[in-house]
Amino acid sequence: MAARFASRLSHVGRSVFGGLGNISSGSLRTSLDSTWNNFLSQQQRTFIQMRTVLKVVDNSGAKKVMCIQALKGKKGARLGDTIVASVKEAHPNGKVKKGEVVYGVVVRAAMQRGRCDGSEVKFDDNAVVLLDKQGQPRGTRVFGPVPHELRKKKHLKILTLAEHIA
Amino acid sequence: MRLEKCWFCSSTVYPGHGIQFVRNDAKIFRFCRSKCHKNFKMKRNPRKVKWTKAYRRLHGKDMTQDSTFEFERKRNRPERYDRNLAENTLKAIKKIDKVRVDREARHHALRMKGKKAKEQREAAKELEQGIHMVKAPAVLEKEPSLTLPKIKVKVSRPQAEENHPMEE
Repeated sequence: MAARFASRLSHVGRSVFGGLGNISSGSLRTSLDSTWNNFLSQQQRTFIQMRTVLKVVDNSGAKKVMCIQALKGKKGARLGDTIVASVKEAHPNGKVKKGEVVYGVVVRAAMQRGRCDGSEVKFDDNAVVLLDKQGQPRGTRVFGPVPHELRKKKHLKILTLAEHIA
Repeated sequence: MRLEKCWFCSSTVYPGHGIQFVRNDAKIFRFCRSKCHKNFKMKRNPRKVKWTKAYRRLHGKDMTQDSTFEFERKRNRPERYDRNLAENTLKAIKKIDKVRVDREARHHALRMKGKKAKEQREAAKELEQGIHMVKAPAVLEKEPSLTLPKIKVKVSRPQAEENHPMEE
């Protein structure tokens, strides 16, 4: 619940900033902008939970999905976990249609994940690759960097398709 | 295991420290601590932030070109393990560090060098301008030399205490 509150707070902050950005064009910007920037750039990144919208980075046809359920983890899904999602936005002629319930694996998460050597990795956005029930990817290409964590979770096909392994 | 360099401050990131940020164009930014990470999020340019190595190298405060830096170049081919090679490398690392530190000290001394003449000139000027604070003008007319007068301070000597033995 605290996580949801934090994400809602950042959401509100972002919308307010959007409004403020529209108004301020000249003098108001410099001092206020830097303080707002400081406040917003320290966003607390949390798990991927119900209602989280993620970007789809394969060519299966979907563009955006909304998480319905994180299959493992009480607080939500992280980098490398699978989720159940509903397609919210799709390419007009793709394999996957809008409103379909799909499975996916999180390949990029804005929340940092600890690696076994003690360091932490974080990405720029939340992205998912759609899978079928057996865990095989539904698309034939994957865009953007993917993490090493997929190797342990046995998503080797995605690793072979990836352009860059972070 | 590999020792990386922090993207912001150029210090070494040891294993178990720091955060790695992967941007969507697959560029990886490594940070040694949250200070560097937060500065990066604020979109600060490390070349303008005074305490980073990037600034110091750019403004000539630290050595830029030296043969000791050649030893730390990134090598992507893994070496086959050889005990002798490892031993020699460890010894060499120590020696190279010493040499590098000496050279940096020399660079620093060279940088700080031309100050003595300037300091002396400034001190002479201050003496000339401020002599009236220390020496009375009348005395100055008699003796127009800029030497500071000798100051005598009276110090009371403590009386030598006699130890009276305890009388019972």
